[in-house]
Amino acid sequence: MSFALRDKVMLLVAVLLAAIYLFPLYWMYVTAIKTGSAMFASPPSFWPSDPQWGIYGFVWESRNVGRYLWNSLVIASGAVSLIVVLGTGCAYVLARYRNVWVDIGLFLILMLQVLPASLMITPIFVGFSQLGLLDYPRFAVILSIAAKSMPFFVVLVRATFMSVPMELEEAALVDGNSRFGAFFHIVLPLARNGILVSAILIFMQAFGEFVYSKSMIQAIEYQPASVGLNSFMGPNTNEWNNIMAYAAMYVTPILAIFVLLQRRIVSGLTSGALK
Amino acid sequence: MRKLLLSVSDGRGFDIGLVSVPLAFLFAMAGLPLIYNIVMSFQEVDMFSLGTFARPFVGFKNYITLFSLPETWPILRNTAVFVIASIAGQFTIGFALALFFWTGFPGSSWLRGLFLVSWVMPGLVVGAIWNWILSGDFGVLNYILREVGLVSGNIFWRSDPDFSLWAVVIANIWLGISFNMILLSVGLSAISQDLYEAAELDGANVVQRFFTITLPMMRSTIGAIIALGLIFTLQQFDLFAAITAGGPNNSSNVAQYWAWDMSFRQYDFAQGATISVIMIVFVMIASVVYVRSTRHEVRG
Amino acid sequence: MTTHQIELAGVNKYYGAYHALRDINLKIRKGSFVALVGPSGCGKSTLLRSLAGLETISAGDLVIAGARMNGVPPRKRDLAMVFQSYALYPHMTVEENLTYSLRMRGVGKAEARRKAEEVAATTGLSNLLGRYPRELSGGQRQRVAMSRAIIRNPKAFLFDEPLSNLDAALRVHMRKEIRALHDRLGATSVYVTHDQIEAMTMADHVVVMRQGVIEQQGAPLELYDRPANQFVAGFIGSPAMNFVPARAGADGQSLVLDLDPPQTLQSPKPVAAGRALTVGIRPEHLQLSGEADAALRLPVGSVESTGAATYVTTATQPELVIVLNSRVTIRPGETLPLHFDPSHLHLFDKETQVRLA
Repeated sequence: MSFALRDKVMLLVAVLLAAIYLFPLYWMYVTAIKTGSAMFASPPSFWPSDPQWGIYGFVWESRNVGRYLWNSLVIASGAVSLIVVLGTGCAYVLARYRNVWVDIGLFLILMLQVLPASLMITPIFVGFSQLGLLDYPRFAVILSIAAKSMPFFVVLVRATFMSVPMELEEAALVDGNSRFGAFFHIVLPLARNGILVSAILIFMQAFGEFVYSKSMIQAIEYQPASVGLNSFMGPNTNEWNNIMAYAAMYVTPILAIFVLLQRRIVSGLTSGALK
Repeated sequence: MRKLLLSVSDGRGFDIGLVSVPLAFLFAMAGLPLIYNIVMSFQEVDMFSLGTFARPFVGFKNYITLFSLPETWPILRNTAVFVIASIAGQFTIGFALALFFWTGFPGSSWLRGLFLVSWVMPGLVVGAIWNWILSGDFGVLNYILREVGLVSGNIFWRSDPDFSLWAVVIANIWLGISFNMILLSVGLSAISQDLYEAAELDGANVVQRFFTITLPMMRSTIGAIIALGLIFTLQQFDLFAAITAGGPNNSSNVAQYWAWDMSFRQYDFAQGATISVIMIVFVMIASVVYVRSTRHEVRG
Repeated sequence: MTTHQIELAGVNKYYGAYHALRDINLKIRKGSFVALVGPSGCGKSTLLRSLAGLETISAGDLVIAGARMNGVPPRKRDLAMVFQSYALYPHMTVEENLTYSLRMRGVGKAEARRKAEEVAATTGLSNLLGRYPRELSGGQRQRVAMSRAIIRNPKAFLFDEPLSNLDAALRVHMRKEIRALHDRLGATSVYVTHDQIEAMTMADHVVVMRQGVIEQQGAPLELYDRPANQFVAGFIGSPAMNFVPARAGADGQSLVLDLDPPQTLQSPKPVAAGRALTVGIRPEHLQLSGEADAALRLPVGSVESTGAATYVTTATQPELVIVLNSRVTIRPGETLPLHFDPSHLHLFDKETQVRLA
């Protein structure tokens, strides 16, 4: 078998595997534009014969998707800003030194990374309600997400900082800069891409966050899209085309970012988690 | 004062300043709740004492009550089944895919990256899609299984107690495959090609090379990935919320969902905290395994 | 007004329990070129980084141009440093790299630009000013690193193995160029290297270090001629000096070399009878002689010739190396009659390894 032929066969199999794997995503988009009867047809049609594009406008209006997405955006942006501001410096220090204290700090951070949100929400909820923080529910969720995701961000960004040679910073110091100046002029610009990719990853996680929002935000006007989707899906719902349209509007922005930045996201993700 | 300023702009003070604020934040937002959680598990907490710190201590009463509940053992068993089945599925399929893409062909790395979309999707959306796919009468999975001839009648994935847990397991495997595959690919590509060439010259065939070179060289990677899988699986909440909500009759309930359900559905915060404490101990053990298997990174 | 640009007195450095620098005393004259040399881990880089302020010293005094500098941050020391990896800022063009230190000191844009062009002209970088470091060859990067140091007029230049990433030919060329630059600028330079040839050829003053201690310092040829101890003797010179265990004869005038077979020599100075010694002789100081005036007769083990010189390794225990600057036909198994100038013989105490005065 020639190499070209082998490559073609492998590529074909790979595309097939990807298609099978991504079928649920396809099914979401197809179901969204089916009519009520086409949705429940047996056998189901895998290609929409009568696409109902109007469903998007209908769901957007009736479910107030704009407000939900706005809340998701506010929460995710708030959490990411807090994480980037606090986590970047922390990651830098943990990358710059090698000693027992750094090892202990890293160990604690790795431990915090693993605490499941659904288990931490009980004490956080009770504590926040005692402190009166639940009166600002979106802020409370932002704080909780920041604490949950910062360790992961620190681990990823630390790997980025480790790839910036220390000598560059030292050269800047000898050239007449302070630690502040060297950090902002030399180290940060060189780590910018890694920080950006990690921030985007964290943003995508925060954009889909559910446990904290569900537990702490009672007022519907502050709820993010994940909680909105959850309340849309009653136990005996039969509005699956509407739900899938909602889901499509929710994930498409994230998928777009992902496809655009795929290579960087994958390499950023793998550099931190292992190796 | 001048000395302090100089230290912040030029010396150790700069580092200490950078690291102390986030660590203080993490301590306040993760360390304190952790401690508070343990405290609450030894207290009597109800809707009236929620707003005060002065709650009566009841010793191990919450723990004793917990283990006398009829659903406790089935839920812990479910948790174990969920974790083991999810990891087994994710890892096996992920490893197979990683090996397939590792052979290398034009477009392989791009296509492989495409699999990661599942990882960036909100858990609720994944849950919603699978909820629909797994639907009993109109679910596309049942249709495919019938057409292939694997089943004769529809399986009521979400409402049949024999299948409800497996409905979530299927969705969770789908969700976790990509992450396993990407990390295993990293491990595979770190193995020097020379080793395979040497083994080939020594007369090892493909299967022998896999068992004598690939697997031994991947040992620490595999350990780390399985530990990570354990951690992520124990964090899985959204799929339960979106697919079965633990039902019917707790047949698909697992500890991490149950803890939340206790606190926020049944408003029994003390029991919720007690379950959390027990589970956090398990997660901590898993993470120690993870840290140990990646300690060459931590230690440098 | 002191003529010493840099003075270190009793400098110590600890990393936890590890004692990296021990009681370093060093005075560097204004305008001199000082080389710090030693095997890796000897503390030479730590010493240089302590001068720069990148490491803080644990004890002792560091004085630069008359001012005590112990706790002063690097930016206020007014030193320039060339790093082993060059440490060029990858996100800045060559010109921005060169003018970075000027901009930090508030020099105007036009002035900085003028100076960059001026320096670039002398180092041959004029047409590369707009490039980024990744677009340059190794040698060009090295030049940028040098230019970045010389663009301002620092109190001293610090070099941390700046040539170790270059190929052999370029290294020899840059050796001369750096020294010429030093002379032209009238600068004070401290140069760290593990290569004793670099140290010997470039420096006015060589400091040999081992395990955080200065073993000996002085002019290059002084170190070559009168090494203070066996370590310096073995470190300076290539191929390395031959060492043979020996014992002083009963008359105190002769030395019995513990070679296999043993040989007896006339001692260059009186030694206490029976004292255990180590005798050192450089390979290039052993010469072929006639049978009659041979001081040593050694069996030949192996012979290598580079064309210009012949390297003979003897079949003795321990092996000796002899460098003959002529083309001679020698076969393994022969016995070579050799002589040498007694003043080229170095005697060290067997226990302390210190040179006998």
